[in-house]
Amino acid sequence: MITFDNVTKRYPGSHEALTNVSFSIEQGEMVYVTGHSGAGKSTLLKLMAAIERPTSGTVLINNQNVSKLKESTLPFIRRKFGLVFQDHKLLYDRNCYHNVALPLAINGITGAEAGKRIRAALDKVGLLSKEKAMPITLSGGEQQRLAIARAVVSRPSILIADEPTGNLDRNYAEDILQLFNAFQQVGVTVIIATHDALGNVSDHNKILHLNRAQLTKAEIIA
Amino acid sequence: MNVWLTQHALALKLVLRRFANNKLSTLLICLAIGVTLALPSIFYAVLDSANVLANNVKSKSQMSVFLATNHDENAIETVKTTLEDDANIKSFKFVSKEDALSQLQAADTDNGVLNSLENNPLPDAFFVEPSKLDAESIENLKNNLSKLDGVDEVVVDGAWIKRLNYLLALGKKTMLIIVSLLAFALVAVIGNTVRMQIVTQYAEVELSRLIGATKSFIRRPFLYAGALYGLIGGLFALLITVAVIYLFNQSLAPLVAEYQTNFSLNYPNLFTCAITCLLALAVGLISAYLAVSKSLFSSIH
Repeated sequence: MITFDNVTKRYPGSHEALTNVSFSIEQGEMVYVTGHSGAGKSTLLKLMAAIERPTSGTVLINNQNVSKLKESTLPFIRRKFGLVFQDHKLLYDRNCYHNVALPLAINGITGAEAGKRIRAALDKVGLLSKEKAMPITLSGGEQQRLAIARAVVSRPSILIADEPTGNLDRNYAEDILQLFNAFQQVGVTVIIATHDALGNVSDHNKILHLNRAQLTKAEIIA
Repeated sequence: MNVWLTQHALALKLVLRRFANNKLSTLLICLAIGVTLALPSIFYAVLDSANVLANNVKSKSQMSVFLATNHDENAIETVKTTLEDDANIKSFKFVSKEDALSQLQAADTDNGVLNSLENNPLPDAFFVEPSKLDAESIENLKNNLSKLDGVDEVVVDGAWIKRLNYLLALGKKTMLIIVSLLAFALVAVIGNTVRMQIVTQYAEVELSRLIGATKSFIRRPFLYAGALYGLIGGLFALLITVAVIYLFNQSLAPLVAEYQTNFSLNYPNLFTCAITCLLALAVGLISAYLAVSKSLFSSIH
Protein backbone atom coordinates (compact mmCIF):
# COMPACT_ATOMS: atom_id res chain seq x y z
CA MET A 1 0.00 0.00 0.00
CA ILE A 2 2.78 2.40 0.98
CA THR A 3 6.34 1.52 0.07
CA PHE A 4 9.46 3.57 0.79
CA ASP A 5 12.63 2.58 -1.02
CA ASN A 6 15.87 4.30 0.00
CA VAL A 7 14.06 7.54 0.64
CA THR A 8 16.07 10.60 1.56
CA LYS A 9 14.55 13.97 2.27
CA ARG A 10 16.62 17.10 2.60
CA TYR A 11 15.07 20.52 3.12
CA PRO A 12 16.88 23.41 1.49
CA GLY A 13 19.45 24.91 3.83
CA SER A 14 19.13 22.17 6.39
CA HIS A 15 20.43 18.74 7.24
CA GLU A 16 18.80 15.56 6.02
CA ALA A 17 15.46 15.03 7.70
CA LEU A 18 15.37 11.43 6.53
CA THR A 19 18.23 9.26 5.32
CA ASN A 20 17.83 6.10 3.25
CA VAL A 21 14.57 4.98 4.74
CA SER A 22 13.02 1.78 3.37
CA PHE A 23 9.90 -0.01 4.59
CA SER A 24 6.46 -0.97 3.44
CA ILE A 25 3.03 -0.84 4.99
CA GLU A 26 0.21 -3.20 4.05
CA GLN A 27 -3.50 -2.59 3.93
CA GLY A 28 -5.15 -2.70 7.36
CA GLU A 29 -1.97 -2.44 9.42
CA MET A 30 -1.61 -0.41 12.57
CA VAL A 31 1.74 1.34 12.43
CA TYR A 32 3.47 3.47 15.04
CA VAL A 33 6.18 5.88 14.01
CA THR A 34 8.27 6.59 17.07
CA GLY A 35 11.34 8.63 17.88
CA HIS A 36 12.45 11.79 19.58
CA SER A 37 11.33 15.23 18.54
CA GLY A 38 13.21 16.16 15.40
CA ALA A 39 13.96 12.57 14.47
CA GLY A 40 11.99 12.97 11.24
CA LYS A 41 8.57 11.59 12.19
CA SER A 42 6.59 14.48 10.73
CA THR A 43 8.67 14.42 7.57
CA LEU A 44 8.00 10.72 7.20
CA LEU A 45 4.26 11.31 7.53
CA LYS A 46 4.34 14.15 5.04
CA LEU A 47 6.11 11.95 2.52
CA MET A 48 3.53 9.20 3.08
CA ALA A 49 0.66 11.59 2.52
CA ALA A 50 2.19 13.03 -0.66
CA ILE A 51 2.47 16.45 0.95
CA GLU A 52 6.23 16.42 0.38
CA ARG A 53 8.25 14.67 -2.30
CA PRO A 54 11.46 12.79 -1.56
CA THR A 55 14.81 14.30 -2.48
CA SER A 56 15.90 10.87 -3.63
CA GLY A 57 14.52 7.34 -3.52
CA THR A 58 10.98 6.33 -4.36
CA VAL A 59 7.75 6.61 -2.48
CA LEU A 60 5.01 4.35 -3.83
CA ILE A 61 1.44 4.97 -2.77
CA ASN A 62 -0.93 2.35 -4.18
CA ASN A 63 1.82 1.55 -6.67
CA GLN A 64 2.02 5.13 -7.86
CA ASN A 65 5.39 6.80 -7.71
CA VAL A 66 4.86 10.12 -5.99
CA SER A 67 8.05 11.66 -7.44
CA LYS A 68 6.92 10.94 -10.97
CA LEU A 69 3.39 12.25 -10.58
CA LYS A 70 2.44 15.59 -11.97
CA GLU A 71 1.90 18.38 -9.46
CA SER A 72 -1.72 18.61 -10.52
CA THR A 73 -2.47 14.96 -9.66
CA LEU A 74 -1.06 15.14 -6.13
CA PRO A 75 -4.26 16.55 -4.61
CA PHE A 76 -6.13 13.46 -5.75
CA ILE A 77 -3.56 11.17 -4.09
CA ARG A 78 -3.87 13.19 -0.89
CA ARG A 79 -7.61 12.57 -0.76
CA LYS A 80 -6.97 8.89 -0.09
CA PHE A 81 -5.62 9.88 3.31
CA GLY A 82 -7.29 11.07 6.45
CA LEU A 83 -4.88 13.39 8.22
CA VAL A 84 -4.83 14.34 11.89
CA PHE A 85 -2.35 17.12 12.40
CA GLN A 86 -0.14 17.79 15.36
CA ASP A 87 -1.68 21.25 15.79
CA HIS A 88 -5.21 20.07 14.82
CA LYS A 89 -5.57 22.78 12.18
CA LEU A 90 -9.19 23.29 13.05
CA LEU A 91 -10.85 26.31 11.49
CA TYR A 92 -12.04 28.61 14.23
CA ASP A 93 -14.29 30.71 12.03
CA ARG A 94 -16.91 27.96 11.71
CA ASN A 95 -18.68 25.41 13.85
CA CYS A 96 -17.85 21.72 14.26
CA TYR A 97 -20.24 20.64 11.54
CA HIS A 98 -18.63 22.89 8.95
CA ASN A 99 -15.14 21.92 10.04
CA VAL A 100 -15.95 18.32 9.24
CA ALA A 101 -17.69 19.35 6.01
CA LEU A 102 -14.51 20.70 4.39
CA PRO A 103 -12.97 17.42 3.14
CA LEU A 104 -16.33 16.42 1.68
CA ALA A 105 -16.64 19.74 -0.09
CA ILE A 106 -13.19 19.18 -1.57
CA ASN A 107 -14.42 15.82 -2.83
CA GLY A 108 -17.51 17.46 -4.28
CA ILE A 109 -19.92 15.93 -1.78
CA THR A 110 -22.54 18.33 -0.44
CA GLY A 111 -26.14 18.43 0.64
CA ALA A 112 -27.99 15.58 2.34
CA GLU A 113 -25.33 12.96 1.59
CA ALA A 114 -22.71 15.18 3.19
CA GLY A 115 -24.92 15.86 6.19
CA LYS A 116 -25.37 12.13 6.78
CA ARG A 117 -21.65 11.46 6.64
CA ILE A 118 -20.72 14.45 8.80
CA ARG A 119 -23.13 13.38 11.54
CA ALA A 120 -21.90 9.79 11.31
CA ALA A 121 -18.30 10.98 11.75
CA LEU A 122 -19.20 13.26 14.65
CA ASP A 123 -21.15 10.43 16.23
CA LYS A 124 -18.20 8.09 15.94
CA VAL A 125 -15.99 10.45 17.96
CA GLY A 126 -18.80 11.31 20.42
CA LEU A 127 -19.31 14.89 19.36
CA LEU A 128 -22.74 14.66 17.76
CA SER A 129 -24.25 16.87 20.43
CA LYS A 130 -21.62 19.56 19.75
CA GLU A 131 -22.39 19.83 16.05
CA LYS A 132 -23.13 23.54 16.28
CA ALA A 133 -20.45 24.42 18.82
CA MET A 134 -17.46 26.49 17.76
CA PRO A 135 -14.15 24.60 18.05
CA ILE A 136 -12.73 27.22 20.40
CA THR A 137 -15.29 26.22 23.02
CA LEU A 138 -14.18 22.57 22.98
CA SER A 139 -11.70 21.02 25.37
CA GLY A 140 -8.33 19.79 24.14
CA GLY A 141 -9.54 16.21 23.91
CA GLU A 142 -12.70 17.23 22.11
CA GLN A 143 -10.72 19.31 19.61
CA GLN A 144 -8.55 16.29 18.93
CA ARG A 145 -11.62 14.13 18.37
CA LEU A 146 -13.09 16.78 16.07
CA ALA A 147 -9.87 16.67 14.05
CA ILE A 148 -10.26 12.88 13.86
CA ALA A 149 -13.87 13.22 12.72
CA ARG A 150 -12.68 15.50 9.95
CA ALA A 151 -9.99 13.03 8.98
CA VAL A 152 -12.35 10.07 8.66
CA VAL A 153 -15.41 11.77 7.19
CA SER A 154 -14.41 11.08 3.60
CA ARG A 155 -13.81 7.40 4.50
CA PRO A 156 -10.11 7.25 3.69
CA SER A 157 -8.37 3.92 3.43
CA ILE A 158 -5.36 5.29 5.32
CA LEU A 159 -5.48 7.35 8.48
CA ILE A 160 -2.36 9.27 9.44
CA ALA A 161 -2.09 11.00 12.81
CA ASP A 162 0.81 13.14 13.97
CA GLU A 163 1.14 13.13 17.77
CA PRO A 164 -2.59 12.69 18.30
CA THR A 165 -2.22 12.26 22.05
CA GLY A 166 0.56 14.79 22.48
CA ASN A 167 -1.11 17.29 24.77
CA LEU A 168 -3.74 15.08 26.33
CA ASP A 169 -3.85 13.55 29.77
CA ARG A 170 -3.82 9.78 30.10
CA ASN A 171 -7.55 9.14 30.04
CA TYR A 172 -8.16 11.22 26.98
CA ALA A 173 -5.18 9.64 25.26
CA GLU A 174 -6.61 6.19 25.94
CA ASP A 175 -9.92 7.25 24.39
CA ILE A 176 -8.21 8.52 21.28
CA LEU A 177 -6.15 5.37 20.86
CA GLN A 178 -9.28 3.27 21.30
CA LEU A 179 -10.80 5.28 18.48
CA PHE A 180 -7.87 4.55 16.18
CA ASN A 181 -8.02 0.88 17.10
CA ALA A 182 -11.68 0.86 16.15
CA PHE A 183 -10.85 2.25 12.72
CA GLN A 184 -8.14 -0.32 12.23
CA GLN A 185 -10.61 -3.07 13.14
CA VAL A 186 -12.78 -2.12 10.15
CA GLY A 187 -9.86 -2.34 7.76
CA VAL A 188 -8.41 1.17 7.76
CA THR A 189 -4.63 1.40 7.71
CA VAL A 190 -3.70 3.53 10.70
CA ILE A 191 -0.33 5.27 11.01
CA ILE A 192 0.39 7.14 14.24
CA ALA A 193 3.46 9.18 15.05
CA THR A 194 4.26 9.51 18.73
CA HIS A 195 7.22 10.48 20.87
CA ASP A 196 5.63 8.75 23.87
CA ALA A 197 7.12 5.67 25.36
CA LEU A 198 5.29 2.77 23.86
CA GLY A 199 3.51 1.85 27.04
CA ASN A 200 0.14 1.65 25.47
CA VAL A 201 1.06 -0.02 22.23
CA SER A 202 -0.75 -3.29 22.04
CA ASP A 203 0.07 -6.46 20.16
CA HIS A 204 0.34 -6.91 16.43
CA ASN A 205 1.54 -3.41 15.79
CA LYS A 206 4.30 -2.48 13.45
CA ILE A 207 6.77 0.06 14.81
CA LEU A 208 8.94 2.31 12.70
CA HIS A 209 11.49 3.80 15.04
CA LEU A 210 13.40 6.82 13.83
CA ASN A 211 16.64 8.00 15.32
CA ARG A 212 18.36 11.00 13.82
CA ALA A 213 16.71 10.65 10.44
CA GLN A 214 17.40 6.93 10.20
CA LEU A 215 15.13 3.98 10.62
CA THR A 216 16.60 1.86 13.37
CA LYS A 217 13.88 -0.67 13.92
CA ALA A 218 11.09 -1.89 11.72
CA GLU A 219 9.56 -4.97 13.15
CA ILE A 220 6.34 -6.49 14.32
CA ILE A 221 6.02 -6.95 18.03
CA ALA A 222 4.64 -10.37 18.58
CA MET B 1 -20.57 18.15 -14.68
CA ASN B 2 -22.68 17.81 -11.60
CA VAL B 3 -19.66 17.92 -9.33
CA TRP B 4 -18.41 20.91 -11.25
CA LEU B 5 -21.69 22.74 -10.67
CA THR B 6 -21.78 21.88 -6.98
CA GLN B 7 -18.22 23.10 -6.58
CA HIS B 8 -19.13 26.44 -8.14
CA ALA B 9 -22.33 26.77 -6.13
CA LEU B 10 -20.30 25.95 -3.04
CA ALA B 11 -17.69 28.60 -3.76
CA LEU B 12 -20.38 31.17 -4.43
CA LYS B 13 -22.21 30.29 -1.22
CA LEU B 14 -18.98 30.54 0.73
CA VAL B 15 -18.24 33.97 -0.70
CA LEU B 16 -21.74 35.22 -0.01
CA ARG B 17 -21.45 33.97 3.56
CA ARG B 18 -18.16 35.81 3.97
CA PHE B 19 -19.74 38.95 2.53
CA ALA B 20 -22.68 38.60 4.90
CA ASN B 21 -20.30 38.20 7.83
CA ASN B 22 -18.50 41.41 6.90
CA LYS B 23 -21.38 43.53 5.67
CA LEU B 24 -19.90 46.91 6.42
CA SER B 25 -16.47 46.36 4.90
CA THR B 26 -18.01 44.69 1.86
CA LEU B 27 -20.33 47.62 1.42
CA LEU B 28 -17.49 50.12 1.73
CA ILE B 29 -15.32 48.31 -0.78
CA CYS B 30 -18.19 48.03 -3.24
CA LEU B 31 -18.96 51.73 -2.75
CA ALA B 32 -15.34 52.64 -3.41
CA ILE B 33 -15.47 50.63 -6.61
CA GLY B 34 -18.85 52.16 -7.46
CA VAL B 35 -17.60 55.72 -7.05
CA THR B 36 -14.51 54.96 -9.10
CA LEU B 37 -16.66 53.56 -11.90
CA ALA B 38 -19.33 56.27 -11.62
CA LEU B 39 -16.91 59.01 -12.70
CA PRO B 40 -16.29 57.72 -16.22
CA SER B 41 -19.87 56.54 -16.41
CA ILE B 42 -21.23 60.06 -15.77
CA PHE B 43 -18.67 61.48 -18.15
CA TYR B 44 -19.88 59.03 -20.76
CA ALA B 45 -23.50 60.05 -20.22
CA VAL B 46 -22.58 63.70 -20.81
CA LEU B 47 -20.58 62.87 -23.93
CA ASP B 48 -23.28 60.59 -25.24
CA SER B 49 -25.96 63.25 -24.85
CA ALA B 50 -23.77 65.90 -26.45
CA ASN B 51 -23.11 63.49 -29.29
CA VAL B 52 -26.82 62.96 -29.89
CA LEU B 53 -27.28 66.71 -29.89
CA ALA B 54 -24.43 67.22 -32.34
CA ASN B 55 -25.77 64.53 -34.66
CA ASN B 56 -29.21 66.11 -34.68
CA VAL B 57 -27.75 69.45 -35.66
CA LYS B 58 -25.36 67.91 -38.13
CA SER B 59 -28.20 66.42 -40.13
CA LYS B 60 -29.50 69.92 -40.78
CA SER B 61 -27.98 72.03 -43.54
CA GLN B 62 -24.82 73.85 -42.81
CA MET B 63 -24.96 76.55 -45.47
CA SER B 64 -27.90 78.67 -46.51
CA VAL B 65 -28.00 80.22 -49.98
CA PHE B 66 -30.51 83.07 -50.15
CA LEU B 67 -31.58 84.31 -53.58
CA ALA B 68 -32.25 87.96 -54.21
CA THR B 69 -35.95 88.81 -53.83
CA ASN B 70 -36.01 90.31 -57.28
CA HIS B 71 -34.16 87.54 -59.15
CA ASP B 72 -35.37 86.58 -62.59
CA GLU B 73 -37.33 83.42 -63.34
CA ASN B 74 -34.39 81.30 -64.48
CA ALA B 75 -32.19 82.00 -61.49
CA ILE B 76 -33.68 79.19 -59.43
CA GLU B 77 -33.09 76.64 -62.22
CA THR B 78 -29.53 77.85 -62.84
CA VAL B 79 -28.56 77.72 -59.21
CA LYS B 80 -30.18 74.31 -58.90
CA THR B 81 -28.23 72.81 -61.81
CA THR B 82 -25.03 74.36 -60.50
CA LEU B 83 -25.60 72.85 -57.10
CA GLU B 84 -26.42 69.47 -58.64
CA ASP B 85 -23.17 69.50 -60.59
CA ASP B 86 -20.97 70.60 -57.72
CA ALA B 87 -19.03 67.68 -56.27
CA ASN B 88 -18.45 69.54 -53.01
CA ILE B 89 -22.12 69.41 -52.19
CA LYS B 90 -23.50 66.39 -50.50
CA SER B 91 -27.14 67.35 -50.64
CA PHE B 92 -29.32 70.40 -50.83
CA LYS B 93 -32.90 71.36 -50.32
CA PHE B 94 -34.88 74.11 -52.01
CA VAL B 95 -37.39 76.08 -49.98
CA SER B 96 -39.44 78.57 -51.97
CA LYS B 97 -40.44 81.81 -50.39
CA GLU B 98 -44.06 80.70 -50.32
CA ASP B 99 -43.13 77.56 -48.40
CA ALA B 100 -40.96 79.57 -46.05
CA LEU B 101 -43.78 81.94 -45.33
CA SER B 102 -46.30 79.22 -44.65
CA GLN B 103 -43.79 77.47 -42.36
CA LEU B 104 -43.28 80.71 -40.52
CA GLN B 105 -47.01 81.23 -40.26
CA ALA B 106 -47.44 77.77 -38.87
CA ALA B 107 -44.78 78.42 -36.26
CA ASP B 108 -45.96 81.93 -35.54
CA THR B 109 -47.55 82.41 -32.19
CA ASP B 110 -48.50 86.08 -32.53
CA ASN B 111 -51.16 85.59 -35.17
CA GLY B 112 -51.72 88.46 -37.45
CA VAL B 113 -48.28 90.00 -37.66
CA LEU B 114 -47.39 88.03 -40.77
CA ASN B 115 -50.88 88.28 -42.20
CA SER B 116 -50.68 91.99 -42.07
CA LEU B 117 -47.73 92.01 -44.48
CA GLU B 118 -48.58 93.03 -48.01
CA ASN B 119 -45.66 91.33 -49.73
CA ASN B 120 -43.78 88.18 -48.87
CA PRO B 121 -40.49 89.55 -47.54
CA LEU B 122 -38.79 86.16 -47.53
CA PRO B 123 -36.33 85.10 -50.22
CA ASP B 124 -36.18 81.78 -52.02
CA ALA B 125 -33.48 79.72 -50.43
CA PHE B 126 -31.33 76.63 -50.87
CA PHE B 127 -30.11 74.79 -47.80
CA VAL B 128 -26.87 73.10 -48.71
CA GLU B 129 -24.98 70.38 -46.90
CA PRO B 130 -21.34 70.43 -48.03
CA SER B 131 -19.57 67.12 -48.42
CA LYS B 132 -16.34 68.45 -46.94
CA LEU B 133 -16.57 70.09 -43.57
CA ASP B 134 -13.10 71.61 -43.20
CA ALA B 135 -12.87 75.38 -43.03
CA GLU B 136 -11.13 75.83 -46.38
CA SER B 137 -13.63 73.85 -48.48
CA ILE B 138 -16.52 75.59 -46.85
CA GLU B 139 -14.95 78.99 -47.49
CA ASN B 140 -14.32 78.10 -51.18
CA LEU B 141 -17.82 76.79 -51.61
CA LYS B 142 -19.23 79.91 -50.04
CA ASN B 143 -17.28 82.14 -52.43
CA ASN B 144 -18.32 80.12 -55.48
CA LEU B 145 -21.96 80.17 -54.54
CA SER B 146 -21.95 83.88 -53.79
CA LYS B 147 -20.80 84.58 -57.36
CA LEU B 148 -23.80 82.87 -58.93
CA ASP B 149 -26.40 84.98 -60.66
CA GLY B 150 -29.35 85.85 -58.51
CA VAL B 151 -27.68 84.83 -55.24
CA ASP B 152 -27.98 87.50 -52.63
CA GLU B 153 -26.24 86.04 -49.63
CA VAL B 154 -24.58 82.82 -48.48
CA VAL B 155 -24.61 82.14 -44.77
CA VAL B 156 -22.47 79.46 -43.18
CA ASP B 157 -24.18 78.29 -40.04
CA GLY B 158 -22.24 75.19 -39.16
CA ALA B 159 -18.93 76.51 -37.90
CA TRP B 160 -19.73 75.90 -34.27
CA ILE B 161 -20.71 72.32 -35.01
CA LYS B 162 -17.22 71.69 -36.19
CA ARG B 163 -15.87 73.02 -32.95
CA LEU B 164 -18.36 70.92 -31.03
CA ASN B 165 -17.13 67.87 -32.91
CA TYR B 166 -13.55 68.64 -32.04
CA LEU B 167 -14.55 69.09 -28.43
CA LEU B 168 -16.42 65.79 -28.46
CA ALA B 169 -13.42 63.99 -29.90
CA LEU B 170 -11.29 65.53 -27.19
CA GLY B 171 -13.85 64.50 -24.60
CA LYS B 172 -13.84 60.91 -25.84
CA LYS B 173 -10.08 60.76 -25.62
CA THR B 174 -10.18 62.20 -22.11
CA MET B 175 -12.74 59.62 -21.12
CA LEU B 176 -10.62 56.76 -22.44
CA ILE B 177 -7.64 58.02 -20.50
CA ILE B 178 -9.68 58.41 -17.32
CA VAL B 179 -11.17 54.96 -17.76
CA SER B 180 -7.80 53.30 -18.18
CA LEU B 181 -6.28 55.16 -15.23
CA LEU B 182 -9.23 54.30 -13.03
CA ALA B 183 -9.06 50.69 -14.18
CA PHE B 184 -5.59 50.54 -12.65
CA ALA B 185 -6.95 52.01 -9.44
CA LEU B 186 -9.66 49.36 -9.45
CA VAL B 187 -7.18 46.56 -9.99
CA ALA B 188 -5.23 47.86 -6.99
CA VAL B 189 -8.32 48.21 -4.78
CA ILE B 190 -9.83 44.83 -5.60
CA GLY B 191 -6.46 43.08 -5.72
CA ASN B 192 -5.58 44.34 -2.26
CA THR B 193 -8.95 43.40 -0.86
CA VAL B 194 -8.63 39.88 -2.19
CA ARG B 195 -5.07 39.65 -0.87
CA MET B 196 -6.36 40.66 2.55
CA GLN B 197 -8.94 37.91 2.34
CA ILE B 198 -6.30 35.38 1.45
CA VAL B 199 -4.37 36.39 4.55
CA THR B 200 -7.52 36.10 6.66
CA GLN B 201 -8.37 32.70 5.20
CA TYR B 202 -4.82 31.45 5.33
CA ALA B 203 -5.59 28.63 7.76
CA GLU B 204 -8.32 27.31 5.52
CA VAL B 205 -6.20 27.63 2.39
CA GLU B 206 -3.31 25.75 3.96
CA LEU B 207 -5.52 23.02 5.39
CA SER B 208 -7.35 22.58 2.11
CA ARG B 209 -4.05 22.13 0.30
CA LEU B 210 -2.95 19.51 2.80
CA ILE B 211 -6.08 17.43 2.55
CA GLY B 212 -6.19 17.32 -1.20
CA ALA B 213 -7.91 20.40 -2.57
CA THR B 214 -6.89 21.30 -6.10
CA LYS B 215 -5.53 24.73 -6.83
CA SER B 216 -8.66 25.71 -8.66
CA PHE B 217 -10.80 24.65 -5.69
CA ILE B 218 -8.83 27.01 -3.47
CA ARG B 219 -8.67 29.79 -6.03
CA ARG B 220 -12.37 29.70 -6.91
CA PRO B 221 -13.88 31.52 -3.89
CA PHE B 222 -11.38 34.35 -4.22
CA LEU B 223 -12.12 34.73 -7.92
CA TYR B 224 -15.83 34.79 -7.15
CA ALA B 225 -15.19 37.40 -4.48
CA GLY B 226 -13.31 39.61 -6.94
CA ALA B 227 -15.94 39.22 -9.62
CA LEU B 228 -18.73 39.96 -7.14
CA TYR B 229 -16.95 43.03 -5.82
CA GLY B 230 -16.73 44.24 -9.41
CA LEU B 231 -20.34 43.42 -10.22
CA ILE B 232 -21.79 45.01 -7.08
CA GLY B 233 -19.46 47.98 -7.55
CA GLY B 234 -20.73 48.27 -11.14
CA LEU B 235 -24.34 48.30 -9.92
CA PHE B 236 -23.46 50.98 -7.37
CA ALA B 237 -21.83 52.97 -10.16
CA LEU B 238 -25.03 52.78 -12.21
CA LEU B 239 -27.09 53.90 -9.23
CA ILE B 240 -24.78 56.84 -8.63
CA THR B 241 -24.82 57.72 -12.33
CA VAL B 242 -28.61 57.66 -12.53
CA ALA B 243 -28.88 59.78 -9.39
CA VAL B 244 -26.39 62.33 -10.68
CA ILE B 245 -28.07 62.54 -14.09
CA TYR B 246 -31.43 63.00 -12.39
CA LEU B 247 -30.09 65.89 -10.31
CA PHE B 248 -28.35 67.40 -13.35
CA ASN B 249 -31.43 67.22 -15.52
CA GLN B 250 -33.48 68.97 -12.88
CA SER B 251 -31.11 71.92 -12.88
CA LEU B 252 -30.63 71.70 -16.63
CA ALA B 253 -34.34 71.96 -17.48
CA PRO B 254 -34.83 75.70 -16.79
CA LEU B 255 -31.52 76.47 -18.51
CA VAL B 256 -32.30 74.66 -21.77
CA ALA B 257 -35.84 76.05 -21.70
CA GLU B 258 -34.22 79.44 -22.26
CA TYR B 259 -32.77 78.07 -25.50
CA GLN B 260 -36.09 76.58 -26.52
CA THR B 261 -34.78 73.08 -26.89
CA ASN B 262 -35.42 70.09 -24.72
CA PHE B 263 -31.87 68.89 -24.29
CA SER B 264 -31.34 66.63 -21.31
CA LEU B 265 -28.74 64.09 -20.24
CA ASN B 266 -29.67 60.58 -21.32
CA TYR B 267 -30.00 57.89 -18.72
CA PRO B 268 -27.78 54.88 -19.44
CA ASN B 269 -29.65 52.40 -21.62
CA LEU B 270 -29.74 48.66 -21.07
CA PHE B 271 -26.71 48.08 -23.25
CA THR B 272 -24.62 50.64 -21.39
CA CYS B 273 -25.71 49.16 -18.07
CA ALA B 274 -24.79 45.67 -19.20
CA ILE B 275 -21.42 46.82 -20.53
CA THR B 276 -20.65 48.73 -17.32
CA CYS B 277 -21.48 45.72 -15.15
CA LEU B 278 -19.59 43.30 -17.38
CA LEU B 279 -16.53 45.52 -17.48
CA ALA B 280 -16.62 45.92 -13.71
CA LEU B 281 -17.00 42.17 -13.30
CA ALA B 282 -14.11 41.50 -15.66
CA VAL B 283 -11.85 43.98 -13.88
CA GLY B 284 -12.78 42.38 -10.55
CA LEU B 285 -12.06 38.92 -11.86
CA ILE B 286 -8.73 39.91 -13.37
CA SER B 287 -7.57 41.73 -10.24
CA ALA B 288 -8.57 38.78 -8.08
CA TYR B 289 -6.75 36.41 -10.41
CA LEU B 290 -3.60 38.53 -10.25
CA ALA B 291 -3.78 38.75 -6.47
CA VAL B 292 -4.44 35.04 -6.09
CA SER B 293 -1.70 33.83 -8.39
CA LYS B 294 0.72 36.23 -6.74
CA SER B 295 0.12 35.39 -3.10
CA LEU B 296 -1.95 32.25 -2.75
CA PHE B 297 0.47 29.51 -3.61
CA SER B 298 3.75 31.25 -2.97
CA SER B 299 4.13 29.78 0.50
CA ILE B 300 2.62 26.36 -0.07
CA HIS B 301 4.29 23.65 -2.06
